[in-house]
Amino acid sequence: MRGIGRGRSLRHLRFQTLLAIAAVGVAVALPVVLLSVGGGVAQHELRALQQSGFQVVVGAPGLHGVEGAHGLTTKIDALREVRAASPILSLPVTVFLPGGGQAPLLAEGVMPGAFLATVSPEESGLFPSPLPLGDPTDLHHFANGSYSGAAVNSMLVSSPFANSRSVTTGERLALSVTGNRSQSTVYNVTGTFGVPPSLLGPTGAFVAILPLSDLQLLAGEAQASDGSAIDAVDTIQVALSGSASSSPTTVAQVAQSIQSLVPYYDVSTLSQEVASLQRAESVLTGFYLALSSFSLAIGLVFLGVLLVRRVDALRSSIAIRRALGLPARSLAAEFARTALVLAGGGVVLGLLAGILLVRALAIYGSAGVAAVASLAVFDPVELGTLAAAVLGLAALLSLAATRSALRFSLPEALR
Amino acid sequence: MTTGKPPMVELTQVTKRYPIGSVTALDGVSFAIAAGASVSIEGPSGCGKTTLLNLLGLLDSPTSGSVRWNGAAAGSLPERERARLRLSGVGFIFQRFHLLPTLTAAENVELPLRAARRPGPERAARVAELLERVGLTGRARAYPHELSGGEEQRAAVARALANGPGLLLADEPTGELDRTNADAVLDLLVEAHRESGAALVIVTHNPDVAARAARHLRMQDGRILSDSLAE
Ligand SMILES: Nc1ncnc2c1ncn2[C@@H]1O[C@H](COP(=O)(O)OP(=O)(O)OP(=O)(O)O)[C@@H](O)[C@H]1O
Ligand SMILES: [Mg+2]
Repeated sequence: MRGIGRGRSLRHLRFQTLLAIAAVGVAVALPVVLLSVGGGVAQHELRALQQSGFQVVVGAPGLHGVEGAHGLTTKIDALREVRAASPILSLPVTVFLPGGGQAPLLAEGVMPGAFLATVSPEESGLFPSPLPLGDPTDLHHFANGSYSGAAVNSMLVSSPFANSRSVTTGERLALSVTGNRSQSTVYNVTGTFGVPPSLLGPTGAFVAILPLSDLQLLAGEAQASDGSAIDAVDTIQVALSGSASSSPTTVAQVAQSIQSLVPYYDVSTLSQEVASLQRAESVLTGFYLALSSFSLAIGLVFLGVLLVRRVDALRSSIAIRRALGLPARSLAAEFARTALVLAGGGVVLGLLAGILLVRALAIYGSAGVAAVASLAVFDPVELGTLAAAVLGLAALLSLAATRSALRFSLPEALR
Repeated sequence: MTTGKPPMVELTQVTKRYPIGSVTALDGVSFAIAAGASVSIEGPSGCGKTTLLNLLGLLDSPTSGSVRWNGAAAGSLPERERARLRLSGVGFIFQRFHLLPTLTAAENVELPLRAARRPGPERAARVAELLERVGLTGRARAYPHELSGGEEQRAAVARALANGPGLLLADEPTGELDRTNADAVLDLLVEAHRESGAALVIVTHNPDVAARAARHLRMQDGRILSDSLAE
């Protein structure tokens, strides 16, 4: 009789033990996934920012963006530390294919020479050099805003677009900003360029690059109806020369000089963007931790309940040991050991589950999920701190169990 | 009464009340046990025998009155201190054996030695000696559920003797045993009492068991009815 009863309660205890380990495991797996993926994405973004080929950006919130772009670019170029300033106008256009049919395309108007000088080292191999778009400065065609030079009418298309629409170099494509074929202009495809594998955000895979003035004319961003020049772009990306580009103070000084040229535009440095990204990341990390602490709390509550139930299940054994005069610390040590073994098992399980889950998502997840998961970074310090925190809290919980084990009345338990 | 050394255990006007049902389990009990004495306690069920034993062995504290060990107040010490005194000074033998089910016979006997921080080799030797003494050498590695009742109680006696206590407290130690096993356990207890000079207090309903002690206490309703020496 006694044997059977004890066997059942031990089996119960074993089942609860597995449940507690699983609960802690699930509780730990959540922060492992959140922190590793969140941290990985943030690091990726930071790396992309830090490796970009320019350090200062001029932008504007207004209708036409930055106006007088050619002139401003020349002024910025004249600053001593500036290696290149690259104005860029981006717009969606419609492309009409020779065989009939049409497709949306992102058109980027650039100064060919300056553009190549401000792409990141990683990207520069993707473009033909020099860009086969005629005048590398785009100034002849611009002609001080009169746009009287010979239209270049050349364009480069991204290889994903070229491949998917079977477009080859030498073909002629009609572009229109209105989607109306009668308002289109015909361009020669003079080459293609590669698109860096973009893991996050919109993949700008269908892109065309045109001389800036051509796109301004096509889009009506060249001149106002009264004939005066608008010469609008979205941004001017400014690259500093070698040593200046890596000194935050110099970058800030150059940004200041540019700001004084155009007090009405936004001039920001990438280090500012890096800083704000880092701020955003730490806010996110805090958010992940808050979310995780909720799951950890549930796991630990489970563990605590199990420990207290253990005191109940082992009540008579505990009473016997106390009656024999075993010191309280031996009970405390035993509960601490139990708590640490359970929490440790849960932590190991959670770490493994979290890491395996992220790895599995990176392999088997849908495209976007896999891309994000593949960026995950498992920071040993972060995960170690997490593990230590869980173990520390488990040890505290064991104190509560010890307390209750030392409090019940001996004579009653020994009856 | 002889003067000089205080008695080993002395109860003075001890009352124990349980708040639940407001039971008065002991009502102003006074008596003393000299070192090396042997005492039997008899009385009807519920008269307070176990309560008295628990107070003698510092498992519980009195509601009022004092429990002194060798002249020093012990009954109202904090649990920590009482546990320390129990470990070195008392050997308990319970009616239901109370071996730890997850430990072998040898490990059960070793438990108080471990708690007293005896070194390993000394523990092993002492466990072997005690198991031999109670005739369980061959059953050292058996778990309690693999032992007969008599064997369990003998293991419990060995455990009670482990730290060489000056006081052996047995609460109906033969209550769950047949005649043969009861005699064997009693023999062991009396022999240990004689050899070690430990005082022995046995609570029992059995006149044969009571006859093994030199002094007899009869209790009723939480009081001592009579206190006599064997004729
Ligand atoms: N924890 C408790 N709470 C309330 N009442 C209790 C408690 N323990 C014992 N009692 C009561 O105190 C009285 C004395 O109990 P005790 O166990 O000392 O009797 P006993 O003489 O050992 O009886 P038995 O021969 O049946 O073992 C009884 O009336 C019992 O019901
Ligand atoms: Mg009793």
